Amino acid sequence: MSFEELFRDFWWLMFPIFGMGMGLLGMISSERRSREVMNVIKSYVDQGKEVPPELLRMAQSDWEAPAQPQQRAPNSNLWSFFTFAAIAAGFSVAWWYVRGELWSISFLVVAVTFGVLAFGALVIAITSRRS
Amino acid sequence: MRPVWAAGRPEMTEELFRDFWWLMFPVFGMVMAILGAVRNGAYQDRVIRDARENLERN
Repeated sequence: MSFEELFRDFWWLMFPIFGMGMGLLGMISSERRSREVMNVIKSYVDQGKEVPPELLRMAQSDWEAPAQPQQRAPNSNLWSFFTFAAIAAGFSVAWWYVRGELWSISFLVVAVTFGVLAFGALVIAITSRRS
Repeated sequence: MRPVWAAGRPEMTEELFRDFWWLMFPVFGMVMAILGAVRNGAYQDRVIRDARENLERN
């Protein structure tokens, strides 16, 4: 089996491998940084000094860079719904055009997945507006 | 006719590119994700290093 045949058969594997690699690296580095942050905070507290606010922010589990605030716009779920619905519609059309092919099932799977995500975003948008 | 530099190599480039040119977009996204993760990690490392240096200085 040549490299081209191997690539044609297994090109899609790059996405789950990339996801697994990023997940593993993120988990390892996050664990290491959390330990370092806690050690530095402990040193500050032991010496009776004020802990820098960046360190406290990093100690929170849902910490992100300051340039990316956590606040979500009230209409973000509605935008998610439209985005997911558009992607689902696009993959549905793609599946419809190639539905005779054996591999068209992959388009259908993506379309159904994004359809479910769109439905969930719509439900969350409706329920969050009521509350 | 194949170029001189391709002599002896398996025939694959043009057809493979025609079939998989669209992969450049997700690959670009993956590269940007890696760069973002590296930058974010470097920022956090810098904050920790600065805090530690500040603690040792004072």
